[in-house]
Amino acid sequence: MRTLFLLLLFSASVWAVTPDAIIKKVEHNIQSDSGYSKITMSVTTARGERTMKMESWNRGHEKSFIKVLYPKQDRGITFLKVESTMWQYVPKIEKTIKIPSSMMMQSWMGSDFTNDDMAKESSIVDDYNPQLTAEDAKKYTVTLLPKEDAAVVWGKIVMEVEKEHYIPLRAIYYDEDGVQQRILTYSGVKVYADRYLPTVMTLVPQDKKSNKTVVTMDEVDFNAVIDDARFTKNALVRYSQ
Amino acid sequence: MILLKMALRELMTHKKRSFVTLLLSAFSTGLFIFANAISDGSHNQLIRSSVEVYPGYMQVTNRAFEDNPGFDNLIFDAEKVKQELAGIKGIGTVAERFESYALYSTDEQSIGGMFTAIEPENEANVSRLRRSLVEGEYLSSDDTNALYLGVELAKRLGVGVGDKLSFISTGADYSFAADNLVVKGLFKTKLYEFDNGSGFVNKRYFDEVMRSGNIATHIIINPLDVQQIDALTRTAQQVVGKEFEVKNYKTTLEDLILAMEIDTIFGYITLGIFFIVIFFVIGIFAFLSVYARIRQIGVLRAIGTTPRQVVGMLLIEALILGILSVGAGGAAGAYASNHYEKHPIEFGSLIDMDPEEYYKQYNMVADVNLPAEFNPPKIMAEMLIMLLLNLLSVVYPIVMINRFTPTEAIRYV
Repeated sequence: MRTLFLLLLFSASVWAVTPDAIIKKVEHNIQSDSGYSKITMSVTTARGERTMKMESWNRGHEKSFIKVLYPKQDRGITFLKVESTMWQYVPKIEKTIKIPSSMMMQSWMGSDFTNDDMAKESSIVDDYNPQLTAEDAKKYTVTLLPKEDAAVVWGKIVMEVEKEHYIPLRAIYYDEDGVQQRILTYSGVKVYADRYLPTVMTLVPQDKKSNKTVVTMDEVDFNAVIDDARFTKNALVRYSQ
Repeated sequence: MILLKMALRELMTHKKRSFVTLLLSAFSTGLFIFANAISDGSHNQLIRSSVEVYPGYMQVTNRAFEDNPGFDNLIFDAEKVKQELAGIKGIGTVAERFESYALYSTDEQSIGGMFTAIEPENEANVSRLRRSLVEGEYLSSDDTNALYLGVELAKRLGVGVGDKLSFISTGADYSFAADNLVVKGLFKTKLYEFDNGSGFVNKRYFDEVMRSGNIATHIIINPLDVQQIDALTRTAQQVVGKEFEVKNYKTTLEDLILAMEIDTIFGYITLGIFFIVIFFVIGIFAFLSVYARIRQIGVLRAIGTTPRQVVGMLLIEALILGILSVGAGGAAGAYASNHYEKHPIEFGSLIDMDPEEYYKQYNMVADVNLPAEFNPPKIMAEMLIMLLLNLLSVVYPIVMINRFTPTEAIRYV
């Protein structure tokens, strides 16, 4: 009897999934050490819809480079993110601009995403403590609370994760007063080797429910060969063409 | 007539006593009028400064704009709304604005700030922007790529008149907007936060780069008569319809107005105490004065003067002193109010720190002048109050003295 109890205890500890592990597995599904993607971003507002096309390169969480391909008037605008710092090159004014911290909450390219979303995408892991707050047969609910000294925008993020393949389903962002601010929904899962990638992300701000931003990954390469030079400020101008 | 003669003779007999009473009452009247004039003047100046620097007396926005000031809640046919408003009797100037946010960038610095389109000529009539020019030139309706920049923001960006900088922003259609600008002029409104974070361009140019043709975030209205603003606001609201909201400065500067009202209430409390003190001082003085004459009044009663005539004589005395003192005090108070309306008191030297630094803490317009308000009808009303106070203060002594019989009064020691 005692042996059976120990066996059960041992098996439970082996199979229990920690919230950290859930987040890491989610990260594995959606991030790569050297990735490339072609993206379509569609911004819907009460007044209409606007579509943009972009290419994106990333090296882990820390570095990313985005080039706007469409619409024509915005073609060649490039963004570089290195850790939490962001630069932008605008061909029309031939200038590279570092986005200051005061502008981080401003809209990114007219979408419902902010500059902060683009610059601090890695900080979910670094700045928040995950807690497993609910679990049912199909999904985990992980609540991410900011670490004590973390300089973050959100008071809480509640993320729902599909159990079998650790696919993110939904992330609900709350402000410091616990009021829902926006909901990010993941869909269109495609399988890339051992990764289950939701290729469509839909962001709906709760204060503008007629708005939504849909990001669709048209092409994804998790093992792209990328020159280190792409993640330098000079690349903003060079790769703008 | 005999009562008047007796009253005058009594006043002339006790010149020193009459003069002290007169001086006391005149000083109180003058002080009362001047204190009120300074209080009203400073309140009005604060409101005027706050309204005229930028917000304007009346503004029209999309009804949903206040709660959700995004580009979905704008005035989409601004020209039509402007024309409708301009047709209302009592409206002076109508000016449209498009308020946006941009990142201003030089080779060294990138700073976020307000990026607002104005109609330069109309704007000059609804705010102090043009009058706040300190260097270079104000905008004109032909300008392209010309920026009218707050001095503090210019300092932070390290630019002056003629220097180039760029902006990036989000257009009215949510598209990406960017262009190069040249600083045409610098303004200083003395409202630090505003000077530290605002830039203006010509609306016609703005419409091209921001794709905001015939769209405005605000329409600012300058009424011909500010006193009629509440009625004008109601009329304008009826004209533009429910889609839009018309607000006047009493709503847009609600907190400031509330602070003014609270200050006025405290002012009334202070004045109430002031009145009580004046009332009792004059009352006590009148009481002593009347009681000093109790034997004289007893003799008057004994030789046939009726209590009513005694009351009349004492009231006439009080009235003569009141009219003279209130007249003199009122004239002095009115003169001081008029003088300090034209030449406000400069109090910058009275505070230990730089006045601009002082006001910066409260995000208020740094105005170190304290003007009075010369308002003749109000001064007349205040003089009347002081005269009534003078008369009221002698009622009790008169009532008391009439309770004595002639014999009691003559024997009174």
